[in-house]
Amino acid sequence: MTPTSVVSDTSPLDRLPGVAGAQTDREIVTFPHGLPGFEACKSFVVFTADAAPFQWLTSVEGPPASFLTVDPRVLLPSYRFALGPADLARLGAEEGSPLLWLAIVLVEANGTVTANLRAPIVINPTTMVGHQVMPQDCLYPLRHVVYTPTE
Amino acid sequence: VLVFTRRRGEAVIIGDGIEVRVLRVGRDGVRLGVVAPVTTPVHRQEVHQQICEANRRAADPAAADPAHRAAVEARLKVRLP
Repeated sequence: MTPTSVVSDTSPLDRLPGVAGAQTDREIVTFPHGLPGFEACKSFVVFTADAAPFQWLTSVEGPPASFLTVDPRVLLPSYRFALGPADLARLGAEEGSPLLWLAIVLVEANGTVTANLRAPIVINPTTMVGHQVMPQDCLYPLRHVVYTPTE
Repeated sequence: VLVFTRRRGEAVIIGDGIEVRVLRVGRDGVRLGVVAPVTTPVHRQEVHQQICEANRRAADPAAADPAHRAAVEARLKVRLP
């Protein structure tokens, strides 16, 4: 058997028509514990939404689940979040490692847009490992209102 | 369900290297100390539950479809600083 013959023809991205190939440098981020409520989703891709600066975090394994996200510092420039040693260890990161921060965004039925600033998703681009941080004590809300429809 | 009686200062061991020790017993609560490997998440159940629910509300099962994504993004109407 030649090495090429063992390469699978079906990549996880094939499940995402319209996403696959849209961005050539896309890579898979591993979430070893999944996300809370989505423990079976252990592999995700991140890609830029047409509506900048939002980004989609899309599961490529397990049940289909996508999350609209945004860097919390875009919403709240003063956003500060100290990762503990357990979080850093899970990400394979050290103090000061460059990390990608994503807050999950929700567009509610009435058009209100909120972001979860309490439990951000953190991705280490060096190890391509991600983790949703669940702080014991956090000043930021689970439902930070970004936009309220006026009419 | 395993049920144990533990007194102050006593512990149970779960798997490899997880220890749950009773530190104090009060009228309304029990103070527990948990020793777990640094990579094992330990959370108050209600915190975990809240975040599960927030994730379930926000999860979009149909976002593989570009037209669906465009429709969701059109509802953002956000003017960011």
